[in-house]
Amino acid sequence: MKWDRSKLRIKLSPTARKWLSVVAVVLVVAYVAFGSLVWWAMNQPPETFGRVMAKMPGPVPFLLFPFETFWMKARAGTLQVGSAAPDFSLFKLDKTERVQLSALNKQQPVVLVFGSYT
Amino acid sequence: MVYITEAHPSDVWQMQSNIKDNVVFASPKNEEERAFIAGACVRKLGIKFPSVLDEFGNSTERAYTGWPDRIYLIDAQGRVVYKSKPGPFGFLPDELSTALAKTVGPAKNNEATDPHGATQISDNQILIRENP
Repeated sequence: MKWDRSKLRIKLSPTARKWLSVVAVVLVVAYVAFGSLVWWAMNQPPETFGRVMAKMPGPVPFLLFPFETFWMKARAGTLQVGSAAPDFSLFKLDKTERVQLSALNKQQPVVLVFGSYT
Repeated sequence: MVYITEAHPSDVWQMQSNIKDNVVFASPKNEEERAFIAGACVRKLGIKFPSVLDEFGNSTERAYTGWPDRIYLIDAQGRVVYKSKPGPFGFLPDELSTALAKTVGPAKNNEATDPHGATQISDNQILIRENP
């Protein structure tokens, strides 16, 4: 059995072609604009990013865009391996004393685990 | 642990999984409220290692790009020797284990352990929670 490829073609009127082109352009523009919004939000402070993401329709940004790749770049940060660790002096949770990184790691390595509850 | 801005406060970006687990907190309005949530975090999660509270302006989080979670290893010369990729995707304790082994040597058998799987590294003040 031979396929006649010419019969598989859908013939569109010039008007239909024009509308299809318009729809395609609109979809591409919407995709780029939506992706740009996600990228912009990722580069904002956490609260702004959270407020933008809260308005997103469910898992759409995760499914439509390479979210993880975007995220890794947006949150890469400026510190590199080999960089001097920025010093800080922060209260312990019970507020009994401050902990200064430079004092703590004079004689020992220090692990910093950044995180929150939610 | 460096306690930083909540990832999913109820008034910003609530997660159904947090509602299910009854972990629902609105954004703290001051340092006292932040300390309260941080205390609940440490108690409820059974975190054994020393924890500090980032100040309300988030200066330490910004310096380290720590939000929503991230791991660093700083050597005794004050240099970054391990920096995880940003969480949640890049929060990989196994990578830290490898970096620690290179920096302080492999774990010793006589290290103190607790029932929750926390291991004390020699006489350091730092406790690392191992993967369950």
